[in-house]
Amino acid sequence: MTMNTLKKLGFQILLLMLLSFSTLATAQEKSIVFEMEEMTLKIDEETKITAKVLDADGNILPDTVIFFSGNRRSLIVNQLGDVKAVKPGSFSIIAITLGQNRIRKDLPVTVEFPPVTSIEFVEKPENVYSGTSFPLTFVVKDASGAIRDNVDVMITSDKEDVVSINSFNDLKALKKGNSTVSASAEGITAEWKIRVSDNPTRSISLTHDYEHKSVRTGDVIHFEATALDNRNREVSDAPINYTFIASPDDNLGQGASAQIEQDGRFVANHPGKYTVMARSGNNIAETSFRVEIRNVQRPIEVVGKGIVPDVKTSDLWVWEGVDGRDYAVTGTWGARGEAFFWDVTDPTNIHTIDTVQVDARTVNDVKVSEDGTIAVITREGASNRRNGIIILDVTDPSNVEILSEYTEDLTGGVHNVFIYEDHVYAVNNGRKYDIINIEDPRNPRTVSQFELDTPGHAIHDVWIEDGIAYSSNWGDGIIAVDIGSNTSADMPGAGGSPENPVKLGSYTYPSGWNHAAFPFKSKSTGSFYVAAGDEAFPYGLDTQGPNRAAGWIHFVKFDGWDNPEEVARYQVPEAGSHNYWIEDDIMYAAFYNGGLRVVDISGELMGDLYQQGREIGLFLPRDKNAAIPNAPFTWGPMPYKGLIFLSDWNSGLWAVRVGEDPTAGTN
Amino acid sequence: MLRIICLAIISLLLTFFENSVAQEYFLYVAAESEDQVHLVHFNAETEKAEIAKTIDVGRYPTEIDGPHGVSVSPDGEYWFVSIAHGNPYGWLAKYKTGTDELVGTTELGMFPATMEISQATGLLYVVNFNLHGEMVPSTVSVVDPESMFRLTDIDTGIMPHGSRVSSNGKHMYHVSMMTDELIEVNTASMEVSRKLKLSESGGMDHSSMDHSGMNHGNMKHSPKEKPTWADPHPTKPFVYVAGNGSNELLEINTDNWEITRRFTTGKAPYNLEVSPNGKLVVVSYKGEGSTGIWDIETGKELAKVANTRRVSHGVTISPDSKYAFISVEGIGGEPGSVDVINLETNTLVDYVETGKQAGGIYFWKQVN
Repeated sequence: MTMNTLKKLGFQILLLMLLSFSTLATAQEKSIVFEMEEMTLKIDEETKITAKVLDADGNILPDTVIFFSGNRRSLIVNQLGDVKAVKPGSFSIIAITLGQNRIRKDLPVTVEFPPVTSIEFVEKPENVYSGTSFPLTFVVKDASGAIRDNVDVMITSDKEDVVSINSFNDLKALKKGNSTVSASAEGITAEWKIRVSDNPTRSISLTHDYEHKSVRTGDVIHFEATALDNRNREVSDAPINYTFIASPDDNLGQGASAQIEQDGRFVANHPGKYTVMARSGNNIAETSFRVEIRNVQRPIEVVGKGIVPDVKTSDLWVWEGVDGRDYAVTGTWGARGEAFFWDVTDPTNIHTIDTVQVDARTVNDVKVSEDGTIAVITREGASNRRNGIIILDVTDPSNVEILSEYTEDLTGGVHNVFIYEDHVYAVNNGRKYDIINIEDPRNPRTVSQFELDTPGHAIHDVWIEDGIAYSSNWGDGIIAVDIGSNTSADMPGAGGSPENPVKLGSYTYPSGWNHAAFPFKSKSTGSFYVAAGDEAFPYGLDTQGPNRAAGWIHFVKFDGWDNPEEVARYQVPEAGSHNYWIEDDIMYAAFYNGGLRVVDISGELMGDLYQQGREIGLFLPRDKNAAIPNAPFTWGPMPYKGLIFLSDWNSGLWAVRVGEDPTAGTN
Repeated sequence: MLRIICLAIISLLLTFFENSVAQEYFLYVAAESEDQVHLVHFNAETEKAEIAKTIDVGRYPTEIDGPHGVSVSPDGEYWFVSIAHGNPYGWLAKYKTGTDELVGTTELGMFPATMEISQATGLLYVVNFNLHGEMVPSTVSVVDPESMFRLTDIDTGIMPHGSRVSSNGKHMYHVSMMTDELIEVNTASMEVSRKLKLSESGGMDHSSMDHSGMNHGNMKHSPKEKPTWADPHPTKPFVYVAGNGSNELLEINTDNWEITRRFTTGKAPYNLEVSPNGKLVVVSYKGEGSTGIWDIETGKELAKVANTRRVSHGVTISPDSKYAFISVEGIGGEPGSVDVINLETNTLVDYVETGKQAGGIYFWKQVN
């Protein structure tokens, strides 16, 4: 044992002893004691709190205590203990001592909701018929005028043999007579005097729109039930409920087979026999029909590939050059700031023809103008932190020329761009998009910006169709902005222009994962949708193995900018969505580790499109020479001249084709 | 009293044993464009450095989250990294030293950057640099590093950077890059206690301005100094500031709160650190890829050491004041590096390559 080792050993033992002793003697014995165990405040009430630091024997110690709010937007607390209640709810005040042996104590605070001031029944039918049932709806308001959905409301009927209320607040009219239904909370009561009359309904007519058609999984059928009296006249206010019985072909633990909405829309996920029933009181009509498997699956064949062996590949664009040949450009991620240009005229022989390198680590997005002469690539990770975009002359893709570098107000990094009518829409700093005029591509100039004003707003991408920009904004969802809408637009504009972007509408969903937006008009139905795609890694960063993405594609149907409705989803189990493209009622979607998915989105969309067997094909790009061998992580697709080109993060550029399968075919 | 005596004995023992036998140095460095933090090990006997461990950080595997600032708790039990990018806010992550296990996170402001923990309050003070946002006043976030609860935000200048705490823990210093100010925060009251204008006319003081209706995108700020870092002297009443825009090293006397000396430096001084023995200031010259070593007493640059690549970034110095470790970003796909400079010979003795864009750097421990 060397002298050094002995010294170390002795030192460590002594150190441990001293540390143990000193720690025991101090921090554990102190405690913060508030003057109360908990606190209750009213909104806008102000008060002051105090706390002491005591030792184990209850002696007051001189430690300084400072106070903070555990919920700063709802309960304002300064360090001295001045408190103001702003919003109702359950919160906490945190008291800490300063120094290295800090101790902490939390004080629960309840800020009471304002008292309930009114309860009102809404959507009350004029006539209530015996034997029918419907859900009760009511609105509760408090003294602040806010609508409250967290109040326990007691619903009762004074004559339960006439009207009964179940635990879900569904009202059932049992027999003819009068009854008063009361809704009570916090001493406030609303009453609804109900007169139950005999149900004039004697029969129900049930019609549908599948006559003479073969119904496939995913096909939406519209049922229409009409209540009729004894003279076959319509009883227009008779409540009607729809339901169904499923007998799926596969009854070996088959999951949910179908769904039906109370407006009569029905869709089946699995083939089998279904019976749809419409009921009003004791009157029932039913119809049975068979649903066949959709049978759209086809093989996907690899046509060619351009493997990128040493860096990760980001986005792609494919275009017909001014010389009539076909080209592609791909970006690179977390690497040397390169964009690769490919000749894909012969998709079986994809090969690079030029490389542009700029001062960046990531060239996340690449886009080419409609006339095939100008490309824009984005920069992130520039060494001077100015980032911005690079505008390229791609008239000769074998000799790409840098025309200009543009960084004005774009230093936060440009993540995505779109080129539309001589303007670049550059999503930057994660907060906004700048609109840049490139009529003179050597001298670009910013003409306007679009940025939300919501708290903590963020943006990821923008896509433009018919003069309307659809941006994807994480928690703020999809936002449609008129930047010069034209007559081809499926939805009305608002007189916007690149210099004057005007917001048209939006749709937000709870997860906050909105990463992409793609507008499309259904070729088969004429309905207008925006497909809103997620990006999410909710399982965290896996530092030991491949990462797993989550999220799906939300189909939002717009009947007017003020009337969006999320009607369907495409969700792949155990994979997450990224970029996608929709053309001729087919969606081409990249799902990272789930590869490329080709999906039939023809017809009306409703429910879970994956479960409905709408997936035409799946392709997992794997190559042993890839940057990460045999590990699909598909970034984005682009259909082009009958092929599908796709970029894969780990392997590069691919061209595939949806093939024919003589054993398959659309039912 | 007993605790003070114990700590004094421990401190004496530490000084004795470390000076006599310590040979191994460990520090953390963030690779901002790689979403990694490296633990760097340097052997003083062989004067060889190595990457002892690489820790992946961030949340999005397909986005660069941008680890920027690094710090270590005074007891050496935890290390912290500020993540610059989020949706839209950045955040702070806490890891256990040794195991490098993620312990907790908390959301901060826009582009959180440099930070340090106060010995006096035990709290962590991190500047929200807001590097790419509007030119508006930003904040210093105060975080309880134990619970990872963000206690409060202190209003400060535009593009605050270079957060360092005095050795007594009572004051945190940082600079407001776009208003040419050195700003002192009282760590206990969590308020800005003093501001010092570092140039005659540069920058704009937004603190008393009504910003409503102003189009900051079209406003031109003209800071002269563009200060990017501040570090207080360990024992004397001085703070040293890197004047990134003026190519100066500034010395500020904190007793009378005035600039006492200005030194012309290499191009674009960026980060700096005063050596623990209080004799040297080591300054990274971002604009020329070199590091300046300054003698505080004489005010002379003792040496200018070329870094191994371009874009010099951060500085940390070993507790024995023998070695300076410089993070160097590099450009594009080039790896970053940590350059090791012997402060007795003022020479580069070794370097180790890191992930791209090595930035935040902080000393962890010196052991046998």
